[in-house]
Amino acid sequence: MDEKELQQSRRGFVKKTTALIGAAVLTAPSANAISLTNPGRERGDARYIGQEGKRFGMVIDLRKCVGCQACTSACKSENRVPKEKFRTYVPEYELGTYPNVHKAFLPQLCNHCAEPSCVSVCPTGATFARKDGIVVVDSEVCWGCGYCINACPYDKRYFNPITNVADKCTLCAHRVDHGLLPACVESCVGGARVFGDFNDPHSAVSKLLSSFPTTVLKPASGTKPRVFYIALSGEIQGLPYSPNVLDDMARKIDGMPTTREWSTKGE
Amino acid sequence: METSRRNFLIGTSIVAGSAAVGGYHETLGKAITMQRRGEKANDAIYGNAPLTEITQKEGVITHSNDFVVKPSVCNGCTTFCSVRVKIDTKSGEVVRVFGNPYSLLSSDPWLPFKTPLEESFKATSGWKESGLEMRSTACSRGNLVYEKLKDPFRVTTPLKRVGKRGEDKWASISIEQLIKEISEGGNLFGEGEVQGLKALADTKTLIDAQNPDYGPIANKLCVLGTADEGRQNYMVHRFVQSFGTVNFMGHTSICGLSMRAGEAAYLDDFVGSPHLKPDLEHCEFLLSIGTAPAQAGNPFKRQAKLLAKGRTSGALRYVIVTPILTNSDSIAVGDRSRWLPIKPSGDLALVMGMIRFIIEEERYLKSYLAIPSDVAQKTLNEVSFTNASHLVIMEGAKKGEILVDAAKAVHVIDKADGMLKNAANVLEADILYEGEVSLEGAKYTVKSSFVLLKEAAFEHSLDFYAKESGVDEKTMVELAHEFTSHGRSVGVDCHGGTMHSTGFYTTYAIMMLGALVGNLNHKGGMSAGGGRFKDFNGACYNLLAYAGKQKPFGARIDRARMAYEKTSEYKRKVEQGINPYPAKDAWFPFSPAIEAEVISSSANAYPYKLGALITWNSNFIYGQSGSEHLLPLLKDPAKAIPLFVAIDPFINETSRYADYIVPDSVLYETWGVLSPWAGHLTKTTHVRYPILKSPNATFSNGEPISMDSFMIELGKALGLAGFGKNAINGVNAKFDFDKPEDFYLRAFENIAMDGATPAPEASDDEIALAGLDEYVPLLQRICTENWRRVAYVMSRGGRFAEKASAYEGAKMSNAYKKPIAIYNQSVGTAFNALSGEPFSGVPRYYAPRFYTGAKIDMDSKEFNLLAFSYKSNVLSSYSASVESLRDTRYTTFIDLSTTTAKNYGIAHGDHVVVRSREGKVQGICRIREGLHPFSIGIEHGGGREGEGSRSVHIDGLQKEGRIARRSGVNINKLGLCDASRLNIATLSDFVVGSNARQAIPVHIEKL
Repeated sequence: MDEKELQQSRRGFVKKTTALIGAAVLTAPSANAISLTNPGRERGDARYIGQEGKRFGMVIDLRKCVGCQACTSACKSENRVPKEKFRTYVPEYELGTYPNVHKAFLPQLCNHCAEPSCVSVCPTGATFARKDGIVVVDSEVCWGCGYCINACPYDKRYFNPITNVADKCTLCAHRVDHGLLPACVESCVGGARVFGDFNDPHSAVSKLLSSFPTTVLKPASGTKPRVFYIALSGEIQGLPYSPNVLDDMARKIDGMPTTREWSTKGE
Repeated sequence: METSRRNFLIGTSIVAGSAAVGGYHETLGKAITMQRRGEKANDAIYGNAPLTEITQKEGVITHSNDFVVKPSVCNGCTTFCSVRVKIDTKSGEVVRVFGNPYSLLSSDPWLPFKTPLEESFKATSGWKESGLEMRSTACSRGNLVYEKLKDPFRVTTPLKRVGKRGEDKWASISIEQLIKEISEGGNLFGEGEVQGLKALADTKTLIDAQNPDYGPIANKLCVLGTADEGRQNYMVHRFVQSFGTVNFMGHTSICGLSMRAGEAAYLDDFVGSPHLKPDLEHCEFLLSIGTAPAQAGNPFKRQAKLLAKGRTSGALRYVIVTPILTNSDSIAVGDRSRWLPIKPSGDLALVMGMIRFIIEEERYLKSYLAIPSDVAQKTLNEVSFTNASHLVIMEGAKKGEILVDAAKAVHVIDKADGMLKNAANVLEADILYEGEVSLEGAKYTVKSSFVLLKEAAFEHSLDFYAKESGVDEKTMVELAHEFTSHGRSVGVDCHGGTMHSTGFYTTYAIMMLGALVGNLNHKGGMSAGGGRFKDFNGACYNLLAYAGKQKPFGARIDRARMAYEKTSEYKRKVEQGINPYPAKDAWFPFSPAIEAEVISSSANAYPYKLGALITWNSNFIYGQSGSEHLLPLLKDPAKAIPLFVAIDPFINETSRYADYIVPDSVLYETWGVLSPWAGHLTKTTHVRYPILKSPNATFSNGEPISMDSFMIELGKALGLAGFGKNAINGVNAKFDFDKPEDFYLRAFENIAMDGATPAPEASDDEIALAGLDEYVPLLQRICTENWRRVAYVMSRGGRFAEKASAYEGAKMSNAYKKPIAIYNQSVGTAFNALSGEPFSGVPRYYAPRFYTGAKIDMDSKEFNLLAFSYKSNVLSSYSASVESLRDTRYTTFIDLSTTTAKNYGIAHGDHVVVRSREGKVQGICRIREGLHPFSIGIEHGGGREGEGSRSVHIDGLQKEGRIARRSGVNINKLGLCDASRLNIATLSDFVVGSNARQAIPVHIEKL
């Protein structure tokens, strides 16, 4: 079996496994029910429990996003995200036909879903939602099987090559738990990213939700994301893939690693 | 693939929902082999994120002992934003960078200057969600640029070349030895005698007795800087003007000189060269040509933030006129944002067409243009005025001059009675006057400035302008109509897109649109900036003056700031009765400085040959279009530069040809005093002081080597005035100048003490909180009784006026005072030094051209596309060594429009070669919808050949260059020369000499 075939057979294996786990989830009453015990949660560690009574999330006002990638860089710096990995990123699109073309930006991060499919597939209990809704991974418990990475319909988890376990956006839980804001929000140049508590009707996020029509990504996936978008163009959802992801192509030419979150499909 | 939908992802984009093929595949591999633990994360839940610098609970802030947060200034691009740096107290390493919430370059609104430091941390925290409104940001570069500090290619010890120039072979040398060698000269490289700086520091002997106007031998030293990052005054006043040379230049000629000079013409101030920027916060309609707020521009973040705010919750609508669709645009704001594609260099014709339409249809603000004087402006409670009604003499000895009496008072025709009167006594003047007038017994044939503008605009038809610009007449007319339909809260802007051969008149014309609607100093209109606190020459010291300071004189090596008609060469020819034209080469009387002319001028020995070049973080080889042509001149010491010393913390594309490299400080290790260059309406001054220990080698007094300390020690070695004993002038006493702090802390003191109410005093708590403890002894010694006020300024990263001080009614508080030059007399009385052609004193259409007037062939069969560069929102010329940024933007491409690509049979991702008549680049082609079909776009910041891109040998050890830093395309390799000039000269604007990097005719083919 050459390398390519090996890859394909592995992919096939993944698909089957996923389907199997998917079926199991269907029979489970809720995501929490299949979460296994986790020592941190059992001993009531605040990092695991989160802030009771709150429901954190984000509203992203796309009218204010300028696609500057300050969030991307702030996150990488704050969270020591390994090279070639991202917890958040802002893809940029062109919509329309010359000369009637417009730019579109879509800041993306973990949606901290109310029904997180990543949690339901975790065989170890390493990934779970805190009581304040922040979905986290316990890197002590995770053994890096990768099911959650495959299960996330948003592709917002990655394999951390340093810790050898699954990794993802924590909404900067370490900052939020200390009364601060997530790094991406702190550094959002246009002021598009608004973080807050959806349980508080007076919070900025609640007010935005009640004042503007909002959309979530892939509503049909049933995950109930808690990252909402104002003025998200319907055209972006379900866009075709780029024929080639050119950055990856340039990296390949240079002999640089290309195992990136958005590596070209079918490459 | 739904390509028919023509929805393209740009470059690095991702699509939500793609399976992480690469990542998952790798994961599975590990799972199958049962490979377990990697490195344990610091925290099972929080991962490897460092602990927080503060904790906020119920509005109470607790500071961590593990970190300190200190203010500084970012050097990630030329905006130089004020930031706060989180430093690990044990390791001294930078952990994170935030914006400075006191500074308008990082926040809007920003904190009042009187806000206690403690409160500033609360304001940006989650306390009552305050941090959402008060957020203070760093951009993608600003967040990661600190990687430069630890880059393995950083130079920390002085180096001397051991091979030939450009062979990348170096040996360490002590700073004392370096200073000795460059001062004394000698056979330094076994290549023959090199004259040292001591021999050049001669302010008495003339370079050329035949041409005394070339000045003294001292002019044979040229010093090149870059953008003023806070230390330019130090370099110019303490070293350059002590040495006695006229030759200092920053990077303006390869950056945005066409914009600067065009705005200087409009504002009639070629000396101060003020910048204009739209007041984006209250602007209702913005027309931005050749620049795009939020894509790049200066100030980058401030413009982006105000644009985002204005289009979302304000009244702002805007049209961006560029060859490429930029990040100014967003589909999320609907028709608030529009893109008008234009072919590179098509902008002058577009704007002249608009001016014609506006004048023809009388859509200009007549009552405003009729204001003839500052007296009338005040009486009418107006915001600014123009010279539209001033009368230009059309014939005789005073041809081109504005009519004034013996007391230099401007005279205009009073609209009320048709009489010629002193403009101070007229409220409404005739702007359409042409005819004969008598003043003080003399008769003159005159035309008003406005008539001259009208005539210039009417030289061509709308149809002609449409054809030349590539924008159809209907669109042009609609744009002119719309521009004149929003009152006076209207902005116009331009920048790097005008860096082509007719960029000066392009800018002048663009700004002129603003005069037609009266937007200068008007709320929501155009501002010349909010000003700065007095810094180097202020309340306590004049740091720019000292005993023995020279008054440099003579022609500059770039032949800027001087008209050919003032030279002895010209006078000689006239005396001999021969036609003074052509001169040997071009002269640029209105330009402040032209870095792009230095090497070729010295090689031509016109006006003279240089003896030595000191570059300070300068990089014209990377930044100058056509610089490839200069390399042979730079490589051979006999040709242009016999001695080349570079002050640079990295070996860049330019400093790799140096004979010596002196390391400079990097980022937050550095001193400086800066004010935003534009885009601010309120008084703002930033300060920067070392908050990190420099890793550089030191002088014997323990001072780390940097530009600042090097200039002191070199100055002393050369015996120059202005260093050492009593070299600093206080109001009542003199002080010694031995270390950089002797200068900068006193500049900070001037800032703190400026005005009737000096800055408050910092408490011990605030001094501790700002991490200023180590500065206390210095502050007490140098700033004596004012030291706590200086500490207050330092703790906040500068001194800042409050947001509320921006306006007085509808007028900007810091208003520009001189009249707008509808006609600019300096330009209108000047001539092309080669052809003798008079320059137009008003904006006028010129086809893309070489210096003497020959047209650049823009429609040839072979070179049928126009290449242009655009600024990146992620990369910059300062970002080569910031490798994490390459995660976000790995490389740069050759951008081609969908239709053009189809015509050429080129596909997305194809390898292509782009050729101009004189250069070529290769790269990966990126197909975009948002691109003018006649153009090829190249993002600035890729294709590096310095700063770790190439392998270097230092002390016999090889450091392997990194391929990722080389990746991408540098448009400047396509640059052209101007054959109408002497020998080798890179193509530039024909009036001001700004380097022409835009609109290069090229040919593209698939490899």
